[in-house]
Amino acid sequence: MRILLAEDEKKVADIIVRGLKAERYAVDVHHDGQSAWEAANTYDYDLIILDLMLPGLTGTEILEKIRRKNQHVPILILTARDGMADKIKNFETGADDYLTKPFAYAELLLRIKALLRRGPVNRDSVLRVGDLEIDRLSQKVRRAGKKIELTAKEYSLLEYLATHPGRVFSRTMIIEHVWDQSFQGLTNIVDVYVRHLREKVDDAFPIKLLRTVRGVGYSLNDETQA
Amino acid sequence: MNIRSISFRLVAWYAGLLTGIFLLLCAVLYFDLRHFLEKDLRQAQLRRAHQVASTLLAHAKQTGEPYVASQTKDWYEPEINDRFIRITRADGTLVYASGAPKDGSFDPTEVPVFTPQLETESYHMLKLSGGKTLLVAALNFKSSGNPNYLVEFGELLDPIETMLNRLFLQLAWGFPMAVIIIAGGGYLLVRRALTPVEQITRAAERITQHNLSERLPVSSTGDELERLSVSLNRMITRLDDAFQNSKRFVADASHDLRTPLTILRGELENFAEDARLDSELRDRVGSMLEEVVHLGKIVEQLFTLSRLDAGEAQTEWTRFDLTELAQTTAEQMSLLAEDKAIAIACDGRQPLLVQGNRVRLKQVVVNLLDNAIKYTPEKGTIQLRMLAVNGHAVLEVQDNGIGIPPAALPHVFERFYRVDPTRSADSESSGLGLSIVKSICIAHGAEVEAQSTVGSGSCFRVKLPLSKN
Repeated sequence: MRILLAEDEKKVADIIVRGLKAERYAVDVHHDGQSAWEAANTYDYDLIILDLMLPGLTGTEILEKIRRKNQHVPILILTARDGMADKIKNFETGADDYLTKPFAYAELLLRIKALLRRGPVNRDSVLRVGDLEIDRLSQKVRRAGKKIELTAKEYSLLEYLATHPGRVFSRTMIIEHVWDQSFQGLTNIVDVYVRHLREKVDDAFPIKLLRTVRGVGYSLNDETQA
Repeated sequence: MNIRSISFRLVAWYAGLLTGIFLLLCAVLYFDLRHFLEKDLRQAQLRRAHQVASTLLAHAKQTGEPYVASQTKDWYEPEINDRFIRITRADGTLVYASGAPKDGSFDPTEVPVFTPQLETESYHMLKLSGGKTLLVAALNFKSSGNPNYLVEFGELLDPIETMLNRLFLQLAWGFPMAVIIIAGGGYLLVRRALTPVEQITRAAERITQHNLSERLPVSSTGDELERLSVSLNRMITRLDDAFQNSKRFVADASHDLRTPLTILRGELENFAEDARLDSELRDRVGSMLEEVVHLGKIVEQLFTLSRLDAGEAQTEWTRFDLTELAQTTAEQMSLLAEDKAIAIACDGRQPLLVQGNRVRLKQVVVNLLDNAIKYTPEKGTIQLRMLAVNGHAVLEVQDNGIGIPPAALPHVFERFYRVDPTRSADSESSGLGLSIVKSICIAHGAEVEAQSTVGSGSCFRVKLPLSKN
């Protein structure tokens, strides 16, 4: 998997590259618009990450140029501007996803993975984490064969965490996914829901699946797998 | 009428001044006329006396005194003409004295015997019974070869008095009328002249920090008022610039803080995930991350505010039911309330159709409820009321929490304002939630107000125009 990263902030680029390399992706970094566009034009990338504020060509211009030539490569936009109008304009031009700075690094990785798997994505109807089973069709949850009753929101939260076991989800990601934009800034609601979820999912069992990563967020993982 | 207003003072001053000048003019006119008429009468009497003296008395020796008397009577007919005529010799004996006038207007016998004066001509006023005044002019006639005579001619001042009285009456009537007309006319004129000032005042009062792009009407009359509106407009422009600058600063700062925050967060997250880290270090990194996330949240909210300033909430308007929105939001937040054993009671069943940006209006409900939950102690209650009042949808969030002191109440919607800086309920809050509420409300032409009693709770009320079909 080869990824093109166009980001003029060297430090931001460094962090992303480090993370992507740890996930065993090949990454090409360009710090200005012109060379990023030349690279995108020359090589066949599996994914392109574009910062909008680039010297030379702006991210939006590169986006337009790439889309004129190659309709298929997934493009993820990074930006410090998250006005609705900008967002809509870029989606219309052909961006596949959009991430606003400052973002949780975990979120970037998740979105990259989601974009790379788009297409042949095989959504299992039953998610399994340890002895926890989540049936996405009937929305039923069982642990060690025992049925667990969850409210709609608790279910959405658990299902979201279970999509990537072991991956840490930030509160902002959870808010955006399980609630909506209006709850931005109200991250303590996530803590309350996780606590309720814990009572139902973990309290009766010796192995705790819901893990808190301080300052980062929550993850669902099977300790025995780690 | 405001007695301190410019129009009242101007009119009072100028009516007062005019009254003064008028009074003076009237007085001058009255006394001058009186003086002139009396003098004229006096001179007429003297002229007649001279006539008698030069034509009759000068030849008295030849014609004899009785001729003088009869001629005088024939010429002047004093009884018919209401005149007084008397001719006396130097020793005081009479040559001729006119009789009582036919209309009996005066009694000539009342006129005392006149003692000859040294001067040739003299006159005096005689107050007669009946309040009448007789003007008597006397001529001391001396000529060589003739005995000396005193010729007296008199006439009543009555016609003059009548005329002057009439004039006085006319002035006394006309004067107040003139003053009233002047004051009234002056008031109308001043009002007309000051109407633009009134308009400028009203327009200026309409301008607040939220519509600084508006300008005052400028009448191109070239007068002082045009200059006033032009300079006021310049001042508003400067204010507008200052506000724009501060807005731009917030937008730029919140924008430029994002990249360093991204770096910090990324580095710290990498660090926190590092398996080699011991738990104490991991905890410290976690603590740092929490602060970075909190900082990120403040930046996020500042950015939200600057986007609202730029008119973001004015886009993507739809028509929806506010009651339904508020109820679902309350349900979504009920767990947060239950966590503190707070009950949220929803009141209001009828649909309230409004126009607006649904996401942002939901944020209003979220922020108000979140605020209420934060400042209500455990086991409190929060009431969420939705009602229709005079074509407006009203949303009320009332809690029975700690309340807001009266001095702090006008400031609760200000950015970063905290009721009690030492008692920030939790470090989570940024002090921007309510200013976001305010900005969203302004963008929707809605009013938001807070009422509170310390110790018994606060009530936030949002008033939004109902959508017309």
